[in-house]
Amino acid sequence: MAFSASSSLHSSRVARPLAAIDTAPPNSSKGKLLFAKSKVYVHPTPSAKDNIPGFIALVRPPNASSDREILLAWMPESLLRGDDFRAYSKVDLHPEDGPASDVYVSLPPISSISTFAFAIPLARLYSVMLRPPSLGWWWGSILIHTRDEDVVPALFFHDAESQSTILQQKQRNKKFTPFAPDGDLFWGGDQFMKYLRRYSSVEKSTFEQRLYLINPDPDDLLSFSPPNARIEPVSDRDSLSKLVKDARWNVLERLARVTRFSRRTAQDVIGNSPPAVRAMLNVPEVRQLGDDFDSARVYLAKWAMTISEEAERNKTKIVWTDVVGDHIGSDFGVLNVDDRVERRNEVSSEEWKAFFDHSGRLCITVSEVKERIFHGGLAPDVRPEAWLFLLGLYPWDSSQLDRQVIMASKRDEYYRLKRQWWDDVERQKSDPVWKDQRNRIEKDVHRTDRNIPLFAGEDTPHPDPDSPFANIGTNVHLEQLKDMLITYNEYNTTLGYVQGMSDLLSPIYAVIQDDAVAFWAFVGFMNRMERNFLRDQSGMHRQLLALDNLVQLMEPKLYTHLEKADSTNFFFVFRMLLVWFKREFKWDDVLRLWEVLWTDYLTSQFVLFVALAILDKHKDVIMEHLEHFDEVLKYMNELSKTIDVEETLTRAEALFYRFQRTVEAIDRKNKEPLPSGGGGWSSPISAVPSNNSNGAFPDGLPDKTLPLKPDVSGRIVISDVLRELLSKEIIVVKDTIPMEDYES
Amino acid sequence: MASSRNYDILIKLLLIGDSGVGKSCLLLRFSEDSFTPSFITTIGIDFKIRTIDLDGKRIKMQIWDTAGQERFRTITTAYYRGAMGILLVYDVTDEKSFNNIRNWFANVEQHASEGVNKLLIGNKCDWEEKRAVSTEQGKALANELGIPFIEASAKANINVEEAFVSLARQIKQRVDLASEPQPSSSGVDINNSKSSSGGGKCC
Repeated sequence: MAFSASSSLHSSRVARPLAAIDTAPPNSSKGKLLFAKSKVYVHPTPSAKDNIPGFIALVRPPNASSDREILLAWMPESLLRGDDFRAYSKVDLHPEDGPASDVYVSLPPISSISTFAFAIPLARLYSVMLRPPSLGWWWGSILIHTRDEDVVPALFFHDAESQSTILQQKQRNKKFTPFAPDGDLFWGGDQFMKYLRRYSSVEKSTFEQRLYLINPDPDDLLSFSPPNARIEPVSDRDSLSKLVKDARWNVLERLARVTRFSRRTAQDVIGNSPPAVRAMLNVPEVRQLGDDFDSARVYLAKWAMTISEEAERNKTKIVWTDVVGDHIGSDFGVLNVDDRVERRNEVSSEEWKAFFDHSGRLCITVSEVKERIFHGGLAPDVRPEAWLFLLGLYPWDSSQLDRQVIMASKRDEYYRLKRQWWDDVERQKSDPVWKDQRNRIEKDVHRTDRNIPLFAGEDTPHPDPDSPFANIGTNVHLEQLKDMLITYNEYNTTLGYVQGMSDLLSPIYAVIQDDAVAFWAFVGFMNRMERNFLRDQSGMHRQLLALDNLVQLMEPKLYTHLEKADSTNFFFVFRMLLVWFKREFKWDDVLRLWEVLWTDYLTSQFVLFVALAILDKHKDVIMEHLEHFDEVLKYMNELSKTIDVEETLTRAEALFYRFQRTVEAIDRKNKEPLPSGGGGWSSPISAVPSNNSNGAFPDGLPDKTLPLKPDVSGRIVISDVLRELLSKEIIVVKDTIPMEDYES
Repeated sequence: MASSRNYDILIKLLLIGDSGVGKSCLLLRFSEDSFTPSFITTIGIDFKIRTIDLDGKRIKMQIWDTAGQERFRTITTAYYRGAMGILLVYDVTDEKSFNNIRNWFANVEQHASEGVNKLLIGNKCDWEEKRAVSTEQGKALANELGIPFIEASAKANINVEEAFVSLARQIKQRVDLASEPQPSSSGVDINNSKSSSGGGKCC
């Protein structure tokens, strides 16, 4: 049995022999394990499946001369070899009041890029922020700040999985003292703090409740704990946003230091941080303008968002605050109903087949199928067939035989259309408009989704030696995309090819992988998307206007803020709406989103509720941190590929129901006789004449209309553009002037 | 927070030109010093930021990138007005994009603020075997329009820094002049011709 030879201030230690645990000689490269707690997780992404379990630990390195050299470490379970793992588990379960045992473990790595492991000497610790479990914070967590401003991942205590914590809680419950010393429910972080106090001086900040300074200098104490500073009580429900708010200035200041630092040793920091932080640090402004507060604000906004995402991860439903009620009166109990919206599993191949009878006819209602797809989406192997229904190529009441006939004739038609331009060598040479469109299509195809393996290759020699891509090479799928888009350009001569269409075609082609079939599926999609590409942009205008009205009605506080930030042109959602979030979601999520949108199950304009859901999710951050249009735009553009599709769809659906009820409530109110005193509704927003036109926007800005415009009798009436959002009918608007006339 | 800003001058620039001429690639090269051959098409608008030191002043450059296709001009022209400098970009391997510069220029004249600084950029100048527009043609057009000219390549990292910095320099001089007490505010042309003679030829 070995005993610690290192000096310690804690004379109460009693050495305990521990069988079967490696108790190495003290002068080896091993460190003494003073404390360990199991099931402390790093959450590198918002997805629970990426969570990494590990131990938080205090380890005294050999030859350490003072407690300040003790390492605070986090080790993922996966990094612990057998002996070490047993040692950590043993110390974890070691009775709370017993002395630190003589257990030795390999020294934890100072930092490990791939595993998030870290070890920091207590001397380098600056502060620890405790975030106990609370409503919305399923897991308690701690945030560690070092004096070197290293980026350390937040550690989440999964107390329900940690045997030692469960044991502790049980014992406390037996003694009827389940509360920790500060009056809160006991959690794993308390135990950690207890041990940390043993080896360092811990001072509670009076500025930021739950912030603890470790071995503070007199200066630190002065700036963080002035004797008379008042602590705001933090309510459970809003503790997060409150914390973020309270910590703002301090964080901004710290942020500036972090980002300056990151410029110096960007690689170290980036490598050692969770992906979310890594992504932020990779933002060029943060890298290059680290000390600039304007960009720091966008950075901060993102930071705040990742924190609140942590908080939201465990909520399965959305809790509404009653905003509309503030605006249009208090007698709307109905508006406060908590919408329970649930997503379902995707439709599997077996389930899909079971929707049809032996002749291949649907044996449940169209509405039932759509409901199922709307709430669950489709399994990948169902898509090639199901999408043809959703995109209007197959009638819902068709039989298998009908569909075969349709397919055969459509296939012929595609090849006929394609041959028409393919064989017209004369025109290909001489028609400048055609050549121009072909070049544009080719350029765009070569920069569409090239990260998708299907479109990545450049191993096929280019068929046309005059093409700008002749010496780069191509692949058969890019060539198919090109031919399909040229054919569409010929097929829809009034619209022609417009940038963005390649983004709309590539997922369809990738799923169907049959050019003739995919072409007609694309035509079906374009039928409803055509209004996004009109020359006068009136279709986009009307959608931006609808979103404007929707935000006014549903999120008035956000709307007021956007007005102040010069952002009510809603241009920051232009890209989202134009190509249906193709650039905002990851590839697989785009497929899911689109099939849900194609159902038109609740409304044909569900895409606007998806946009509203994203705004709703980020509204606190936007209102808190973003003050100008460029900041809002940057923030929204950089949400790209970070948005969770299922959560967004859930939120969008709940928002739709809420919108529907609001409209119904206003309509119902308007049917009541006017009170003799006049004016049914009094709108807090002043009325302006509504200009609800379809026209192009003068100066590129949408007209302003109020969604709740008072009519002659002073009642508030829902605007047409809003009422349109309740319709399931697809809106089809076409350009009328042939492209040739326009371009020449 | 505005008082804590860490730059002396904020300059807003705008990139315009036909689709596929390499606007986003020029911007990516300048702001992040990287290049991606199959860069995605720009939809809507976006901007990037880089801060440079110029004569001891910190210049924060906010550079707006736009979709090139004619169809989206109603959106993109909304951004002309706030721009202090406009980079008109064509592709030296694409004659059409060069011919269209006149249209883009007319658009600028119509929508941009008065006195906005402009720069003509012939991109992809490393691609000699595909070249369709000569350096002389570029110079001639620039002279005709009365704006400076430079050939550049985002891919080969030729003259990208020079293009953006020279435009920033002109704007800074214009701003400096305007903020000085003297009534004169028309020093722009002189500066223009000066810097245009500097960076004409590319490779």
